Amino acid sequence: MNSLLLRNVKLTQPQVASMLQYQCRVDASTASSSSSSTSSVVQNNPVVLDNRKPAPQLDADRMRMHPRIGNREIVGYGLKGKPEYFDLVMFPCPSIRWEADTPAIAELRKKEKGDWKQLSVEDKKRLYRSSFRQTFEEFTAPTGIWKWAIGWTLLSIAGATLAYDGWRRICYRFDGPDSMKDAKLKKQLEYHIAARQGPMTGLASKWDYETGTWKK
Amino acid sequence: MAHLFRTVFIQSLSKTTRPMWSTVQRNMSSHNKETDEEFDERWKAYFDRPKIDGWDIRQGINHMNRLDLIPEPEIISACLQACRRVNDHSLAVRYLETIRYKSNAISKQVWPWILQEIRPTLDKIGVSTPEDLGYDKPELALKSVDDM
Repeated sequence: MNSLLLRNVKLTQPQVASMLQYQCRVDASTASSSSSSTSSVVQNNPVVLDNRKPAPQLDADRMRMHPRIGNREIVGYGLKGKPEYFDLVMFPCPSIRWEADTPAIAELRKKEKGDWKQLSVEDKKRLYRSSFRQTFEEFTAPTGIWKWAIGWTLLSIAGATLAYDGWRRICYRFDGPDSMKDAKLKKQLEYHIAARQGPMTGLASKWDYETGTWKK
Repeated sequence: MAHLFRTVFIQSLSKTTRPMWSTVQRNMSSHNKETDEEFDERWKAYFDRPKIDGWDIRQGINHMNRLDLIPEPEIISACLQACRRVNDHSLAVRYLETIRYKSNAISKQVWPWILQEIRPTLDKIGVSTPEDLGYDKPELALKSVDDM
């Protein structure tokens, strides 16, 4: 394909668009220019920019989730296919790693490709923590929330009881019956004595019926 | 007519009644008529695929964890070897932690037995058990996600 010919063609047919695109990319590539023309971009990088190859797979997950998950590697399906991290007993393998890939981790991963007996315990723990946030024991550890639950239950019952009692005392205030007034009590005492209540050792035994006074 | 009767008569003489000696497992449910061995074979074949990748291993682990069983030591070994093939040691430890948690929910005797059964695989591949890494007790005290 002669590049000159293609660049000057008018875009009357849409089929030519893809060919034009391809040719533009060829011109922009450092792969072709380094190999063909002399006045090319000096290629010091071993990675050759070849625009004729298709773009890397930027799937919808990565595009949508990159602001939320950053550089973390998507490794699995997870719960519902979303690249989110979770620590669950029912689903042990989350869909993304916990930590982003740093050069230190990349070193360890390279070491992981070899014999696992060469990995030290610290290496293994580091690798585990970079893939997972908490171990099973950690996220299934008892939380002690039952103490809060019982405490708050008892406190709220006590508070409700006090509030109810206070409301009763404020809203239902009436004058009591006159049973405990002095006149009534005196009359009651006279009746008890007249009826001889407690004649041997009680009340009436202390009343002198002849004189009509208390016994001396 | 007579000919007909004769053939039927001879047929009934030559036919022998075949008793039902075959050991057919009868399931009362209408689905999942496979035996235990077939189940084990299926899962072992799943993990034994040479080109399995991390995605499929995680899918298999998650699926198997939801089933009402603890996998046979052969299946566990196959899964650990699959982890070895994709060079992911943490995944193997996570899987062992799953098995440990599930078996401890039943009885304290199951996990030592499983470890004993898969010990050859563990030694061959070099996977550490959660106890080796100190993960049988909580190490970090991080805030729970529910409290954030």
